[in-house]
Amino acid sequence: MIVAGRAEQRLHDRLTYIVLVALSLFCLFPFVWMLDTALKPIVEVQSLSPSLLIRHPTLASFRHVLLETEFGIYFRNSLIVAGTATLLAMIVSIFAAYVLSRWPRMTLTRAVGGALLLSQMIPGVLLLIPLYMLIRQMGLLSSYLGLVLVYCSFTIPLCSFMLKGFFDAIPRELEDAAELDGCSRTGIIRRILLPLSAPGLLAAAAFAFINAWNEFMFGYVLINDDAHRTLTPGIMLFRSAHVTDWGSLMAASVLAVVPVAGCFLYLQRYLIEGLAAGAVKG
Amino acid sequence: MRHSAILKRQDRIATRSGARHEPGRQAQLRRLAVLYTAPVVLLLLVLIAYPLLRVVWECVRYVNLVNPTVRGFAGLDNFRTVLQDDDFLPALRNTMIWTALSVAGEYVLGLASALALARNVPGRGIFRALIIVPWVIPIVVAGLTWSWMLTPEYGILNHWLVQLGIIRQPIAWLGQPSTALFTVTLVNIWRSFPFYTISLLAALQAVPRELHEAAAVDGAGTLMRFRVITMPHIRTVSLTLILIHVIWTAINFDFIWVMTQGGPLDASETLPIMIYRYAMQQFDVGAACALASMMMGFMASIVFVQYYAARARRPA
Repeated sequence: MIVAGRAEQRLHDRLTYIVLVALSLFCLFPFVWMLDTALKPIVEVQSLSPSLLIRHPTLASFRHVLLETEFGIYFRNSLIVAGTATLLAMIVSIFAAYVLSRWPRMTLTRAVGGALLLSQMIPGVLLLIPLYMLIRQMGLLSSYLGLVLVYCSFTIPLCSFMLKGFFDAIPRELEDAAELDGCSRTGIIRRILLPLSAPGLLAAAAFAFINAWNEFMFGYVLINDDAHRTLTPGIMLFRSAHVTDWGSLMAASVLAVVPVAGCFLYLQRYLIEGLAAGAVKG
Repeated sequence: MRHSAILKRQDRIATRSGARHEPGRQAQLRRLAVLYTAPVVLLLLVLIAYPLLRVVWECVRYVNLVNPTVRGFAGLDNFRTVLQDDDFLPALRNTMIWTALSVAGEYVLGLASALALARNVPGRGIFRALIIVPWVIPIVVAGLTWSWMLTPEYGILNHWLVQLGIIRQPIAWLGQPSTALFTVTLVNIWRSFPFYTISLLAALQAVPRELHEAAAVDGAGTLMRFRVITMPHIRTVSLTLILIHVIWTAINFDFIWVMTQGGPLDASETLPIMIYRYAMQQFDVGAACALASMMMGFMASIVFVQYYAARARRPA
């Protein structure tokens, strides 16, 4: 069926492409410029007529950032904290998501589901002070564990809802058959549910990791020594230390984006479904 | 063994069809559910519920972050501290400007991109991926990169604007009070609108094609179809998106802190920045909690109103 005249159709197509190209450039240009700056020698970075063209590309900024600064430590700390928070959240969420998915009508399930939803609505900055005091009481300031625990408060709801969506897609009949054969509930989860939803598990983990990796405020407030500082507050400090050295700052930014970009490439096709399922705080 | 399993299965079939309940099995499942959700419940209690109660509790008490001798019941003193603070009204105004402009800009860009991506043109998968990208990178990195592009000395944007003749000389966009807040808002829009794109795109794709075709046959133009078919279909998603983002934007700390720290001269100070300053720079936990509870109360009332309005609209 032809919805519109051919001329009108072509006009619409052209308009569509104009919007898409313009928005893509808008979205992408800062990254291009980031990479561009990171690869330039300092003379070209501080040029009064900046251009995309790099006359003498160099890795000097990357070398400086990686070898002569604390950046490597921050990067490692972020990997540890975001990785642990993701792992912990996944383990806890798998069971919660199972209950949410399989026994939705229990009072308990409704209460837990409601609490998880509510916890996603409560903004972190409003809990910043009591969480700071709590972590201080526990003696966990400037430690990985303190930050990991706090990150779990947002990675767990996120993982739980995402995993529930994936579990919902797996037919119950498979479980019934396994139960008939004498398999325990935990065995069912481990042997049937998890293998079948493996891509979904990975997507949820990738998403939790991105969120933990990107978090700034708690890392900034809860960690006060260089040995445990994570990347996002690290870059912030870096900035005051390298006021005019934009080449190094952009090299650090490029490196900070790499793990996220990796996760995103994998996550991309799930993102749409995950978002549609409403599992996201961002 | 085998026999009892079969019996169990029959039981469950009976239970499912609603004919008969077996208390033993139900209780067993409930125990399992308690066991499975225990870690989540524990973490939520410690990390969300307890801090939440503590905010409400501390806002009527004198508490100092570094000086434990400051204590006692404060009544409404903390609220008085906040409301009489010379920074409060400007910060409230900034928060409103920041939130309204951000959400409006994000919605417009999100809707435009979703409408474009909903059309079945070649290459839209790539465009979709490109458009989501800003949303997944750290706010710190986004803020830093834009700060670099906006510097008055070597910034590419100032260079372009001067070359195009739009401005006569480079402007310190983040460094002067009249432009700082708007500039951070722009960067926030850049990073946040893809969320709208994805959500609205999902809603748009759920609109049945036949509706558009039928309307077109009846002679409805593009704009007419957008108003009569598309808009009603994405109204619910749009309202939810806007509601959530009003909250998320109003309480956002990261963007402003990373780009301007509330400056220059408090020109971009919002309420979350004030909370941070009370707590971490003046160590006045009571005032910080008072402000936080006010914000929380305000947000809860928005959610309530929206929720009941939505329920009232829905036919019973």
